[in-house]
Amino acid sequence: MGVEGIGARVLRKEDKRFITGKGRYTDDIELKDTTYAAFVRSPHAHARIVSIDISEAKAAPGVVDVLTGADLAGDRIGGLICGWMIHSTDGSPMKAGAHPAIAHDIVRHVGDQVAVVIAETRAQARDAAELVAVDYEILPAVVDPAKAQDAGAPQIHPEAEGNLIYDWSIGDKAATDAAFAAAARVVAMDVVNNRLVANPMEPRVAIGSYDSAEEHYTLYNTSQNPHVARLVLSAFVGIAPEHKLRVVAPDVGGGFGSKIFIYPEETVCLWASKKIGGRPVKWTSDRAEAFLTDCHGRDHVTHAEMAFDADNRITGFRVHTIANLGAYMSTFSSSVPTYLYATLLSGQYAIPAIHAEVEAVYTNTVPVDAYRGAGRPEATYLVERMMETAARELGEDPAELRRKNFIRSFPHQTPVIMCYDAGDYDKTMATALAAADYAGFPARKAEARARGKLRGIGLSCYIEACGIAPSQAVGSLGCGVGLWESAEVRVNPVGTIEVLTGSHSHGQGHETTFAQLVSERLGVGVDTVQIVHGDTDKVQFGMGTYGSRSGAVACRRLPRRSTRSRSRSARSRPT
Amino acid sequence: MVSVSLTVNGKAVTREVEDRTLLVGFLRETLGLTGTHVGCDTSQCGACVVHVDGVAVKSCTMLAAQADGCAVLTIEGLAQGDQLHPVQAAFREHHGLQCGFCTPGMIMAAVDIIRRHGPGIDETTIRHELEGNICRCTGYHNIVKAVKAAAEQSGGMAEAAE
Repeated sequence: MGVEGIGARVLRKEDKRFITGKGRYTDDIELKDTTYAAFVRSPHAHARIVSIDISEAKAAPGVVDVLTGADLAGDRIGGLICGWMIHSTDGSPMKAGAHPAIAHDIVRHVGDQVAVVIAETRAQARDAAELVAVDYEILPAVVDPAKAQDAGAPQIHPEAEGNLIYDWSIGDKAATDAAFAAAARVVAMDVVNNRLVANPMEPRVAIGSYDSAEEHYTLYNTSQNPHVARLVLSAFVGIAPEHKLRVVAPDVGGGFGSKIFIYPEETVCLWASKKIGGRPVKWTSDRAEAFLTDCHGRDHVTHAEMAFDADNRITGFRVHTIANLGAYMSTFSSSVPTYLYATLLSGQYAIPAIHAEVEAVYTNTVPVDAYRGAGRPEATYLVERMMETAARELGEDPAELRRKNFIRSFPHQTPVIMCYDAGDYDKTMATALAAADYAGFPARKAEARARGKLRGIGLSCYIEACGIAPSQAVGSLGCGVGLWESAEVRVNPVGTIEVLTGSHSHGQGHETTFAQLVSERLGVGVDTVQIVHGDTDKVQFGMGTYGSRSGAVACRRLPRRSTRSRSRSARSRPT
Repeated sequence: MVSVSLTVNGKAVTREVEDRTLLVGFLRETLGLTGTHVGCDTSQCGACVVHVDGVAVKSCTMLAAQADGCAVLTIEGLAQGDQLHPVQAAFREHHGLQCGFCTPGMIMAAVDIIRRHGPGIDETTIRHELEGNICRCTGYHNIVKAVKAAAEQSGGMAEAAE
């Protein structure tokens, strides 16, 4: 370890601008002649749009234009897509409904956008948005994923009959059934993993700007992956080919997954900028809109059963999960309750047979996609709740039941794709139990009871597959893009270093950690290394930051690139 | 429209604004001081904290017109040139930030907390005082550490000045 290299304690390079108010977040960007967008959003979970009267809004002070879903469809702007193909057990592809950037006939969740008002100021846009008169015919709605497939439940998309998007499974059903048939004990439970809102501190922002002379668009947005945004907006939404579309995600105030996805407002701001003659169009979400339109996380309803032999060793695990994907399929939504979830259902335990079935359903709720851990915490929550429930029902100490079932021989191939190469779960468990004085807990509990207090203790094991790579693996599972990462290390003539990375930093501190990595390899100070990211015009390509992939995937590129730069500069050094 | 005259970061400014203009909008949009952030627009998150006549205020909860005649200090005015304010330096030293979005409000609130409680402020009081500032990244631990360190340092500085 060098003075400033990997593991050294250095001050973060990005902090000075943040502590002095000089950070450059998307809402801080004010382009010349900017106009401001305010969306008219559905107050109903499910309704037919009978008519939209924009006349009063259009005549309001400062209003530049009012646009609706009909205008968008008229200009042949495509809808948003889900980029991970999942096939049902019967081999049929997932049933994705259309996702227009502005709804035209039907609104499918509270907050669905119905029209956009563009005005000279933010306040004028908001005032005028209240003057857009929408006549709705309210339709029955379903919000509970467990009821989405009920007979008589409202049909949300014509493409997905009975609101079922896919019925997917993993593992060996016959082996699992056999394990249950031969089991000494079976423990069953129902568990709900509730929906939640990601809520980064910085609300989402989009600025679309069209240059008619160059026929070129620029989008400034709060994105965890600007290159993926450009790809989707170009290849699927059809805003412009990639060389005519630049996406810039400057400082981003936290993402937690919710800023991975390509959102309707980004399409609308780009399209509207051209529509109004090239003036930039800026939309800034408020907190209420963030609750209504940022993708939510989790929302599973699960029934699970675990089979044990007479010695309390697990012999089988059977899982049935209904996953709520909300009203539309967001960018990576399909992968979360499938490959990011069920592949971790073995936890740290040696389970000979697992079978999991996942039904993904549409409901009249805000779309659900990846959120912090994405699928993997849902798996852990389920497995660990099951271990706790089983410990109680089997009358075994929860720590002992876990220990008894730990994987101890590596590599270990689980029945759900993953192969674990190494681990020492006994040691981590023993360390945690010692730190918490687990052995002394009964005495503490008794002492608390003597004072009329209730004391409890809980434990959980956790294993996570981070990185979501390599490309060949994720491609074979249905991912529409390769999840590799790019890096370029440039040595400038004066000897300073520029590192261009396709990953994105929104709180992770890449400007420091990546610089430390390069500093270590090239033997230069971190101050001479500049990390460049977040701009499709600067960095050749990239897949962004999510799923704990920057350390695992993006950083791996840097030493190799640095070494190549070092040997090149050694070769070119005058002798 | 209303005419508003006030001092911002030591500079006298006068602007004509809509009556309903919030102080945070005045700072960000009228004056271009974008260091003050809007996180929730419901007075909960504290990303918009500035000082008005020396007191920490959520600038999304105050009209610009109410600040007429006042002295406003924002994050941009806290450092003395290149010399960081001790609270700014402490946030950097103790890794009290990640994405940086809540940071300006945190720092401005912390300066006011230390002014009111003095160098001996304890951790419980700091945590209680920071209830009006939300951070989504850090888990607060290092923020509290930074505030405590800056408070202790302010005591040392006061002693040295005596």
